[in-house]
Amino acid sequence: MLDRELIFLNFEADDREDLLSRLSDILYEKGYVKQSFKQAILEREKVFPTGLPTLGVKVALPHTDTEHVIKPAILISTLKEPVVFKEMGNGVNDIDVGIVFLLAVKNPAYQVKLLQKLINMFSKENILLSLKECKNAQCIYDILKRELY
Amino acid sequence: MTFLKESYIKKQLERWDKMKTVIVACGSGVATSQTVASKVEQLCKERKIPVKVMAVDIKSLEQNLRIADVYISITPITKEYDIPTINGIPFLTGVGIDEAMDELEKILRE
Repeated sequence: MLDRELIFLNFEADDREDLLSRLSDILYEKGYVKQSFKQAILEREKVFPTGLPTLGVKVALPHTDTEHVIKPAILISTLKEPVVFKEMGNGVNDIDVGIVFLLAVKNPAYQVKLLQKLINMFSKENILLSLKECKNAQCIYDILKRELY
Repeated sequence: MTFLKESYIKKQLERWDKMKTVIVACGSGVATSQTVASKVEQLCKERKIPVKVMAVDIKSLEQNLRIADVYISITPITKEYDIPTINGIPFLTGVGIDEAMDELEKILRE
């Protein structure tokens, strides 16, 4: 699921909607998701927000139903300026997100191990900080490879 | 021999019946609830707490709550339920995870 072409650094976006729209477009252009994915991601984020108050760097984990996905992917992007998401679980608190992990989930049963490792990684403050400090996609790729496989 | 085997199976089934059930729900039931469920399962195993953990999507939550003993929530709660509810965010961020597990263990061992 990891792919260097789905890793972006210092992405600039006006707000959450702009960020999620443009990242969804990338997944669509590369054939990972259907056209309906973008709308589904935006809608779901409103109802079930995915910002997490992790230590070091706060993250967001937007995802949606499997029907909008063609092949599974994780798009990772560090953000030049924090983008405000709502906090998962309460939907009220603002979370200044520094890294976004946009998930295209196709078969939860097969992907749960990888997602589990991703979540385990969210508890590691130093790893999140190193991801944020990466200067190129290879650096992020190497860290994720080590943490997720 | 056969007798022993049957009684063993019966015992296992009884144990399974007595196990408490934890429900984790998220919007789509595809990513976060699954990962929280397997995290909770792993942590319960480490603490030797026998438990069944199920990940469901929010649409089937109400129907699943009828068979559950604890509900771990990772979506904004819009109403109150009859069973104990635990905030599931610590299982995703690692922040306050020991306290969340203590709370869960207390309920499960009751």
